[in-house]
Amino acid sequence: MPALTSPNAKHLLARTLFGFSKEQFQQAMGYGSLEDLVDRALLADAALPAPPNAWVNTVPAQSQQDSGDAGTWYRELTYWWYNRMFSEGLNFREKMVLFWHNHFSCERDKVNYPQYMYQQNQLFRKFAFGNFKQMVKEVSIDPTMLIYLDGNNSRGTGPNENYAREVMELFTLGIGNYTENDIKQAAKVLSGWQVKGLTSVFDSTRWYKETTLTIFGKTAAFKVDTLIDLIFEQKACAEFICRKLYKAFIYYKPDEAFVAQMATVLRTNNYEMKPLLRFMFLSDHFYQTTFRASHIKDPQELMVGSLKALQVKLPDLVNLYDMAKILQMQLFQPPNVAGWPGQRDWISSTTYSYRGGFTDSLLTGKRFNGTAVAGKLDAVAYARTFSNSEKAALFVDDVIDSLILFPLTAAKRQFLLDTLLDGTLAANWSTYTPQADARIVRLLKAIMRLPEYQLN
Amino acid sequence: MKKQINRKVFLQQMAVLTGGVGFGLGAVTGKAFGQIPAAHMANVEPGKILIIIQLAGGNDGLNTVIPAEDDLYFSARPGIAIKKEDALKLDQGMYLHPSAVGLKKLYDQGQMSIAQNIGYPNPNRSHFRATDIWNTGSDASTVLEEGWAGRFLKTRYPEFPISLAKHPMAVQLGSVESLLFQSEQGGFSTVFEDPNLFYQLVSGTPADTDIPPATLAGDELGFLKQIAAASVQYAGVIRDGATKGVNTLSYPTSNLGRQFGIVSKLISGGLETPVYLLNIGGFDTHANQLTQHANLWKTISEAVSTFQVDMMNQNLADRINIMTFSEFGRRVNQNGTAGTDHGTAAPMLFIGKTVRGGLIGANPNLKALDSNGDLKFNYDYRQVYSTVLRDHLGLDNVRSQQIFNSTFERLPIFKNSPDALPEAITMELIAPWPNPASGYTLLQYGIFEEATVSLALYDLQGRQLKLIDSGLRKVGSYSVNLDLQGYASGHYLVSLSTSRGGRMTRQLVIQ
Repeated sequence: MPALTSPNAKHLLARTLFGFSKEQFQQAMGYGSLEDLVDRALLADAALPAPPNAWVNTVPAQSQQDSGDAGTWYRELTYWWYNRMFSEGLNFREKMVLFWHNHFSCERDKVNYPQYMYQQNQLFRKFAFGNFKQMVKEVSIDPTMLIYLDGNNSRGTGPNENYAREVMELFTLGIGNYTENDIKQAAKVLSGWQVKGLTSVFDSTRWYKETTLTIFGKTAAFKVDTLIDLIFEQKACAEFICRKLYKAFIYYKPDEAFVAQMATVLRTNNYEMKPLLRFMFLSDHFYQTTFRASHIKDPQELMVGSLKALQVKLPDLVNLYDMAKILQMQLFQPPNVAGWPGQRDWISSTTYSYRGGFTDSLLTGKRFNGTAVAGKLDAVAYARTFSNSEKAALFVDDVIDSLILFPLTAAKRQFLLDTLLDGTLAANWSTYTPQADARIVRLLKAIMRLPEYQLN
Repeated sequence: MKKQINRKVFLQQMAVLTGGVGFGLGAVTGKAFGQIPAAHMANVEPGKILIIIQLAGGNDGLNTVIPAEDDLYFSARPGIAIKKEDALKLDQGMYLHPSAVGLKKLYDQGQMSIAQNIGYPNPNRSHFRATDIWNTGSDASTVLEEGWAGRFLKTRYPEFPISLAKHPMAVQLGSVESLLFQSEQGGFSTVFEDPNLFYQLVSGTPADTDIPPATLAGDELGFLKQIAAASVQYAGVIRDGATKGVNTLSYPTSNLGRQFGIVSKLISGGLETPVYLLNIGGFDTHANQLTQHANLWKTISEAVSTFQVDMMNQNLADRINIMTFSEFGRRVNQNGTAGTDHGTAAPMLFIGKTVRGGLIGANPNLKALDSNGDLKFNYDYRQVYSTVLRDHLGLDNVRSQQIFNSTFERLPIFKNSPDALPEAITMELIAPWPNPASGYTLLQYGIFEEATVSLALYDLQGRQLKLIDSGLRKVGSYSVNLDLQGYASGHYLVSLSTSRGGRMTRQLVIQ
């Protein structure tokens, strides 16, 4: 069993949380063993959070679109989720909610009532560490998914194939593990549902009329539950979701041998996620040094993580909301049904530059376009949270180590020290000098503009 | 899906790329990157520009170019068929979507060709796999990690990424880099949304000469540094082009209209970029498709026709061709929710002054469908790409074959199909094989007109290291084994020149 060393803990927290402060890191070390940290903090169960507002129970109506309320509520829902991320502490659940949101990708452009999206988001929270098979059953008839992949109003006589294809291709089995005919037959089984009010209802008169259907070579009078059961009997199923977890939390090119081990754990536990996640986060494989800092931060990890690391008390959620769009990760608006591909796809010449613009904005209090950003960092106060704040070289090293996991070269550390000192002598450094504020800001900007800062 | 670059290649390129970029936090000064001697550039036809519009989601071809005189069309789509009275008449019983008024005008002026029923054998109906197929130019069962445009750009910029061309090699408007421009040497495209903002944001991007460690994280860091270096190199060029360029009329406010407005300014401002990629999404019309599909084609029609007039006003239209593509067409039969599911073959549009105009190929055959109820394709999409590469971008036959690993007969899309290359040139040097190589590599060349030839190995500074083969050569093909013993690993150039004044250069990587 791997030990709770400082590098292991940093690696684990970087992958399972949306960032962490120095204090939270110390708190994690206080658990004494990785096992306790994983069992008692990361994978601990918690009650569902209270909803963002009363609108979650308001029956959707066109007037909410016309008045702009729906848009306002979507914004509130997004802020609410950001607040969940900021207050996650040492618990892994919110990261898993995002994983499931990305897995069962649905776009708010099409699901334009946030009431539905809120329900789905809570469903992901409920099943964050729960049973994957049961979750697929519930997602299949969840209003958001019915709307997004056109199960809504699909009739057995002329079924819409959209969900039937994606549930196999993207949610459970992967391409190549089903036939076009399997899709056509499954589409009939999945028909008959409609979204009415806040929920989905089944109407058997809109369902398929055949006595039996043949799917994956099995002939039966399928219902949604038995169809999903059959899909989960396919060999590809456990490997498929484990491969995706591997790519999200370990390394984007999966190690098939370890994926196979994960799949065995998942099957043995009848698709319960918690034993699998525990297995993953307590495995020697996860802590191999080669995986450290090999993950390109997604925009939420970058934004929320930067704010936590800088200990900004009241983050500017408007800034996050707007920048998430620009950085190509607007919550509730993945690019398509496959979700965000992640890793290198986050980075292009334009998004890379905007990332620098975002971290700058936390330090200057201004966005790239001049818009004010609330909660500008008090650089001197932040510096003084480091015990070495008055010793230039040690201070720079401590700041680097609290912000960057990638091992920096001595030359780069020296460059950053020079950036702080700006021509003055190290011996003369003090956070009490008149220019200290500007110098600390320059140092932090430089650190956060390093390509190394994008890696977790 | 971004291609991992080989670590050794990376170390070499980074040493060159970042050599002159200051590591600093103020404005980063640009740098003149080492240029390969002009004589060593591959033979290219300069000046032609291809603008690709990706219709993301799977455009419903049958409701775009409509067989509105075919009863089968109406019986398959009782709720969503478009009647011929409502549609815009083309030729041979085909009609254009009613909202594509601007495109219809271009068609009537002979500035739009439509290639019908484009697809490929064993079509894939997954958005993601099908998009990858169209972007890479592979067949259904082969997974390629390089885009077809990336492979084309390798022939145009053989020195990338050791030296960067003066102007962006490809421009993509948007935020997420497409597989289309990926190559084993890294991505060719510069991706941005707005030229001025891009410049402003890049200022402050540090670049440094540190070589990343040989770790998994080091590989990712190398990727990030490559993006940073290219951004620093091109942000100024793009901003200057956009500042210098003009729009002679105002563009629609749609996102696609805005993209075309920027492309117009960049071309007008003198950017030599040969390939642009624009994107419009929303074509995955599974339900209630009529209004949405109409809006999409209105948007495209307005943006494209504005652009075309603008380019004509500026006397730039002869250089430009616009091509549309989508990952698949849609099912012939409508589904139960007034929409269409994923299908197969569909039409592609070509707009420009150099196209022949009119319809290419037979109308969709709604009787002889495949077992899935989908259209069978008439022409392979790689025939289309090959045609565009050869007849528009001036790529020779041999290289075009190499890009698709096969020969595809050209389609009559362009007026002046130069049946020229390689017939009109006097020789051809094939890419070395193996490459990268160790021990030896095989060099092959063809002589089409008798000449005195000289085949030599150069380093990247243009110094001749070895004369490999020389003398008078009759018409024919020749091959020479090059012994690589004694050469350090790295990038080299092999160049063939003849007494008739031709020269062709290939890149060789020695491992």
